[in-house]
Amino acid sequence: MIKAVMVMNTQGKTRLAKFYEYLPVEKQQELLRGVFAVLCSRAENVSNFIDAESIFGPDSRLVYKHFATLYFVFVFDSSENELAVLDLIQVFVETLDRCFKNVCELDVVFNYSKVHTILDEMIFGGQVVETSSSEIMKAVEEISKLEAASNAITLIPKSASGWRSR
Amino acid sequence: MSMHGMRGLSVFISEIRNCQNKEQERLRIDKELGNVRNRFKNEKGLTPYEKKKYVWKMLYIYMLGYDVDFGHMETVSLISAPKYPEKQVGYIVTSCLLNENHDFLRLAINTVRNDIIGRNETFQCLALTMVGNIGGREFAESLAPDVQKLLLSSSCRPLVRKKAALCLLRLYRKNPDIVNVDGWADRMAQLLDERDLGVLTSSMSLLVALVSNNHEVYWSCLPKCVKILERLARNQDVPQEYTYYGIPSPWLQVKTMRALQYFPTIEDPNTRRTLFEVLQRILMGTDVVKNVNKNNASHAVLFEALALVMHLDAEKEMMSQCVALLGKFIAVREPNIRYLGLENMTRMLMVTDVQEIIKRHQAQIITSLKDPDVSIRRRALDLLYGMCDVTNAKDIVEELLQYLSSADFTMREELSLKAAILAEKFAPDLSWYVDVILQLIDKAGDFISDDIWFRVVQFVTNNDDLQPYAAAKVKEYLDKSAVHETMVKVSAYILGEYSHLLARRPGCSPKEIFSLLHEKLPTVSTTTIPILLSAYAKILMHTQPPDQELQSQIWSIFNKYESCIDAEIQQRAVEYLALCQRGAALMDILAEMPKFPERKSSLIKRTEYSEGDTAEQSAIKLRAQQQTSNALVVTDQHPANGATSPVPVGQLSLVKVPSMMTTENDTSTDHPLSQQNGALSNVDPQPPSADLLSDILGPLAIEGPPGATVQSEHNAVSGLEGGSDAADGSAIVPVDEQTNTVQPIGNIAERFHALCLKDSGVLYEDPYIQIGIKAEWRGHHGRLVLFLGNKNTAPLVSVQAIILPPAHLKVELSLVPDTIPPRAQVQCPLEVVNLRPSRDMAVLDFSYKFGTNMVNVKLRLPATLNKFLQPIQVPAEEFFSQWRSLSGPPLKLQEVIRGIRPMPLPEMANLLNSFRIMNCPGLDPNPNNLVASTTFYSESRPAMLCLVRIETDPADRTQLRMTLASGDPTLTFELKEFIKEQLISIPTAPQSPAPPAAQPTPQIPPNDPAAILAGLLS
Repeated sequence: MIKAVMVMNTQGKTRLAKFYEYLPVEKQQELLRGVFAVLCSRAENVSNFIDAESIFGPDSRLVYKHFATLYFVFVFDSSENELAVLDLIQVFVETLDRCFKNVCELDVVFNYSKVHTILDEMIFGGQVVETSSSEIMKAVEEISKLEAASNAITLIPKSASGWRSR
Repeated sequence: MSMHGMRGLSVFISEIRNCQNKEQERLRIDKELGNVRNRFKNEKGLTPYEKKKYVWKMLYIYMLGYDVDFGHMETVSLISAPKYPEKQVGYIVTSCLLNENHDFLRLAINTVRNDIIGRNETFQCLALTMVGNIGGREFAESLAPDVQKLLLSSSCRPLVRKKAALCLLRLYRKNPDIVNVDGWADRMAQLLDERDLGVLTSSMSLLVALVSNNHEVYWSCLPKCVKILERLARNQDVPQEYTYYGIPSPWLQVKTMRALQYFPTIEDPNTRRTLFEVLQRILMGTDVVKNVNKNNASHAVLFEALALVMHLDAEKEMMSQCVALLGKFIAVREPNIRYLGLENMTRMLMVTDVQEIIKRHQAQIITSLKDPDVSIRRRALDLLYGMCDVTNAKDIVEELLQYLSSADFTMREELSLKAAILAEKFAPDLSWYVDVILQLIDKAGDFISDDIWFRVVQFVTNNDDLQPYAAAKVKEYLDKSAVHETMVKVSAYILGEYSHLLARRPGCSPKEIFSLLHEKLPTVSTTTIPILLSAYAKILMHTQPPDQELQSQIWSIFNKYESCIDAEIQQRAVEYLALCQRGAALMDILAEMPKFPERKSSLIKRTEYSEGDTAEQSAIKLRAQQQTSNALVVTDQHPANGATSPVPVGQLSLVKVPSMMTTENDTSTDHPLSQQNGALSNVDPQPPSADLLSDILGPLAIEGPPGATVQSEHNAVSGLEGGSDAADGSAIVPVDEQTNTVQPIGNIAERFHALCLKDSGVLYEDPYIQIGIKAEWRGHHGRLVLFLGNKNTAPLVSVQAIILPPAHLKVELSLVPDTIPPRAQVQCPLEVVNLRPSRDMAVLDFSYKFGTNMVNVKLRLPATLNKFLQPIQVPAEEFFSQWRSLSGPPLKLQEVIRGIRPMPLPEMANLLNSFRIMNCPGLDPNPNNLVASTTFYSESRPAMLCLVRIETDPADRTQLRMTLASGDPTLTFELKEFIKEQLISIPTAPQSPAPPAAQPTPQIPPNDPAAILAGLLS
């Protein structure tokens, strides 16, 4: 089972945190800090695995992927295959990329509801529900249409990326 | 999207981002939370749009790490909104903010159910997602059947069905007692015929959850899984969208192979053959390619296939193929594959017959120890540790030592511990072992725990040949300029004992050794000084003929420390000085340390305990277990000088001889042991008596009447056990009377009762075996050691010890060897954890064979309720306020108990004290009453205060009234019953049967003194 999905930037700011087993907010923050402390000390071109048991307790594994300014982190137990979870991160990022056309950190910040929607179409209660990026996109677009029916869409302009990234 | 229309939200996020520091951010967020809270208060004016906006803000704030403790109601209420965007926000945010126990969720159940059974698929998906993410009990109760229906419905779109499958999985995992899966085998098989790979992936996850619980009913799914795997591996009929970098859905392949690993074996030869063909194809057809993602995907499948092959116990040929593949992987450039290669090789160690093939890769594995990635270095260390045996120990340990100087700090402790363990387990000769440990101390002294140097001292003491070697070695280290304090400790000990063996070598005269040690004294801490003082005393004693100059030098040091503020140092200084001045008496008392009894290495034990009990047993753990049974066995030894845990400090004699020998646990002090050593060194080694345990259990008067023992230990409980034999006959222990022809020696029940009050003694004895026990209790933890002593000259075989623990205790017994050699003693440590209060008892089911006699006894273990108590003295004010706040049943219970063995009040107080319930004199003004307090430790709750009041009737000492109060009703009841049993199980006359355990509370006559006193404290 996947225990948690985290997205944080290289400064340690959380951009998305979803825990599939309920944890109080202080504990969530402690884990996020613990993960960042390890991630920020890792070099490039090393493996995508880190020792998670010291942070999350026994029977936990962690894989992460580093894209530009963001770390994507999945925490799971021994019932999942490490490389398959790593592939899943890739699917997640590719889907975000399709959705936002060249996704950047700001897209994730200002559209975190959409990121939640995408994640929910991919991981469900800690299990992989869909692995095909195009199927996920189909579902998300369907939801967007429903939204459009009740809202006028005003996309956040890309120029927002000129804002100071903190 | 939902928030794009929300300008306010974007502005808020920008403002947060523009905050210069955390303080500003907090101010901004507090302001916003105040604003949202206000708006929610006057809900009337709130449009659904505004509500939605605020709820998104709440989620954002929550993600930043701020607790949002309001607005839950508003969030949940959005679920019922008619329009999609509001409903969606409601569902998403609810599943992030609330947990399954939240009351507000109950309010939403109806809406959620309506959405699930309704016709709107988008709503169905939203509702399923929320239920699946939260997975509460009430959801399971009211929704599981509806979710099952959706999953099986042919009219639903795959989008809905795959979510229904996982929703069901989650509800089942969390509440297996509620979600009924009987008869699901057929449906599950049917679901596996699904063509849509999305639905199939979810169904496979569901199958994994079901088979992991009970594989037997799902046999019919097995061939279907093989078929699915075959379809994917051969890439037949796999739509483009489920092909990931050219690999047909790696996730489904992996999941399918996972499911197959839950079936113990595959019986049908056709299915088995097909599966092995597919696996062979995967193993052979996977190459390392340039594209990272493709590599990851294909190797995800490959590693899962390896795991399945290992599980199926394939033929040796295929196994060697797997090892060869892994050998290739650990050398590739791609770090992930190197990492997993090492990890899987470690797992492979569990498979018999492949260790030799793995050893061929040793050089490459050692290279990985220098990998730039710490994750890989850790895996390499694990693997080296696991694959080490006598043939390669020297190479591996020396590599580890070399690596130690350059290893990062986070790894050094683990590294040095592992090196120490391997050196001990597989040492080809002991001098090499000593070299390794000294190097470890020299290179990484800060990371060397006390156990490591205790252990080396133990080996040196027990091996005469080793002593001059070790002494010469430590001297070399001391000659260096910078010496770690641990090195000073071990050197001081060894030189104190054995430097006289070097006396003829240059630079090794007593004087030179002394000044070498004494140089270090200014640099060490107060814990090391006592060891140095002991070494000085020993050196002085060994200096023959006496050297006046050295003597005056050492005496002046003792003189100086006689007034040291540290009690330990002071005491040693005073004692050594007094001893030295007695001349010849010194010789006897400071004689060389006797040999230690062989014991299991605490290091090895430590690694065993630290391994969590995860489902997957690591190879390391397995192998460690295989090793221990040898390590445990003891051949005949001199009288023991160490014991596994300290004996009561109260018995400390004046004499103190250097000893830091407690290898068993690092927290114990060396006092009691040193006392034992000293006492024993006066005694000539004697041939082992039939009573082997007297060595270990030393002064605890095993053979004496239990009453006497109790008295000497607790100096108060006079004659309590005096006449208990007959009455306790009912409770006599072989719980289940066997037709044993072997008669036990002594009364088992008596022995048990004695052990309830003290922590060491004999639990059982018969003509062949003696079982002793030593226990240490700390909070809710107990550490017991069983000493199994074979009293005969022939081995005891088929030895078996099984613990039957009651529900409230977690008991873990280390491996008991099958055979106890003649006249040998075996120690079996036992860990006990108390979960909650209960008077039930753990039973040791013990059996062995001697000649043709099969003996089986069931013995109660003295892990009784009182062992988890800690006496505490409660000040009067606190006692009264607690007493008052715990008003009435079930937290406070009162009972009149009759049939008490008459005893004076001080005796009763002592009895309670011996159960660790502390008498609090002066709290109750009535001299006939007794007030006591204690704390109870269990894993489930913090320490719990218990208060006891006993009112006695001076006119009739056979009855009393007891009131017990604590914050836990079970504890109150159990402790009351426990004390009661202790008070009445001590009969007045040997013949009288024990009164029934529970007596209804009789009415108190109005003139009963107890009744008169009743209102006093309550």
